[in-house]
Amino acid sequence: MSAEPFFTSLHQKFTAQMVHLNALDAAVGDGDHGSTMLRGLTKAVAADETKRSKAFMRASGGASGTLFGLILIAIEAHLDTGAPLDVGLSKACERICDLGEVKVGDKSMVDALAPAVAALQGGDLPAAITAAAVGRDSTKVLVARRGRSQYVEDGGRGHIDPGAVSVVIFLETLAEASPNAGGIA
Amino acid sequence: MKKLFNTAETMVDDMLDGFVSAYPHVKRGVNDPRVIIRDSNAKDADEKVTLLIGNGSGHEPIAMGFVGQGVLDANVVGDVFAAPSADLILDGIAEVSGAAGSILLISQHSGDMINGRGAVMMAQDEGIDVLALPMYDDISAAPPERKKDRRGAPGTMFIYKILGAAAEEGRSQADLFSLGEAVRDRIVTLAAAVSPGVSPLTGLPMFSLPEDEIFLGMGVHGEPGVGRVKVGPVNELVELMIDKLLADRPITDGGCACVIINGMGGTTMMELLTIWSETKAKLSRHGISAIAPMIGSYVTTQEMGGFSISLMEPTDDMLACWCAHSDTPSFPKITHVEKDLTQ
Repeated sequence: MSAEPFFTSLHQKFTAQMVHLNALDAAVGDGDHGSTMLRGLTKAVAADETKRSKAFMRASGGASGTLFGLILIAIEAHLDTGAPLDVGLSKACERICDLGEVKVGDKSMVDALAPAVAALQGGDLPAAITAAAVGRDSTKVLVARRGRSQYVEDGGRGHIDPGAVSVVIFLETLAEASPNAGGIA
Repeated sequence: MKKLFNTAETMVDDMLDGFVSAYPHVKRGVNDPRVIIRDSNAKDADEKVTLLIGNGSGHEPIAMGFVGQGVLDANVVGDVFAAPSADLILDGIAEVSGAAGSILLISQHSGDMINGRGAVMMAQDEGIDVLALPMYDDISAAPPERKKDRRGAPGTMFIYKILGAAAEEGRSQADLFSLGEAVRDRIVTLAAAVSPGVSPLTGLPMFSLPEDEIFLGMGVHGEPGVGRVKVGPVNELVELMIDKLLADRPITDGGCACVIINGMGGTTMMELLTIWSETKAKLSRHGISAIAPMIGSYVTTQEMGGFSISLMEPTDDMLACWCAHSDTPSFPKITHVEKDLTQ
């Protein structure tokens, strides 16, 4: 298997969603989340096999490039080599919580990722997508504790977290581009 | 503000072209041109623990100027004022690591910590024996009971040099790591800014400060600190800063402290030497000998005006390593001599 169709499709999704994601981010951060993700994915699509997530990290830059890149590394390894997706995403989620000093409820990408990881144990990707979407929507009423959104009015309450939106897009795209993804190899 | 660059896109690589062609100590990494490694004096990484650090550019000579014998084995160079990405730091780790293991030094700032620790995790996944050592010393960033929340400031240069010398002696990764933590516990730094640096990217000053005010405790990127004081004779400012440093980490009467007086880029040697003299005199009034000073502009933010004072109360081993021979493009010779100034 190859991760190429996944990254190609993800690039198309973020091309279409860039303006929307920037607008979401403008309410809680510096308004560049969509552009940053797209910049990374543009390089990921052009990169060599097995180097796509690292190319994403380099091009998107900043701490967010590292944190989202860790998710992409797990997906890429699953698609390229059949590494178990549940193990990979679980490790990525732990590392993101550790590095970003966030936990569930802090209004971040982790609010979508952590429930998805829990639902994925056993290989059920559709259940993981549903759980991630519920987590994403939960960020609307949450108050940010970390990152730039903690400094905006009322910690960004009333606005959905753009990072959580991106996590859901990752998983939806994975399911579409690779219908057998997540299954026990 | 006038700046002497070609283009914003190429300014970092243009600088690195100049750097590697000027000094025999260094060359670019094989896998990535943004990794600077030792050249003429490199040692076998299976025998010697390798030390590296990643940082944004715009603060030269730190840290690429310290790559060479007795200090760092590699520096991973990010864009202007931006932490290098995790995969770039991973390239740097892979470039210099061997059987003896490596230590990634991280000057504690949010982006550097996330990308540096992320790189170490990825390297460990690839079977590389590397540890991350966060470095922090800025007393204005958090009180003593929350030392771990402090930023990295110019006092971290004590760690580079002491670990660099100890690594050159062939000490183990575990020994070096605990030595690094022990040195870190003994460093305190406080900075005073008088005027902003100008960003090479925007051409704009990075903060503003009234003509008659000095900002105490400003971070290397202009981050806020203790607060503002009025400009007066520098001896009064040094007196205030040393009082704060000693209140944070006392040194007993009869003790000694190694000192770094670091200029931020736009402060003259004439001023820095005056500040050193006042520092030595003030410490002497507390019964503390100021020894083995490092004085100059090493951690800079373009033409930012201001300086920092760092103190480290050394053990004999730390002092020997601090004064050990090194051969890099920019690390100065540090000497410890007892001089009789009364003659």
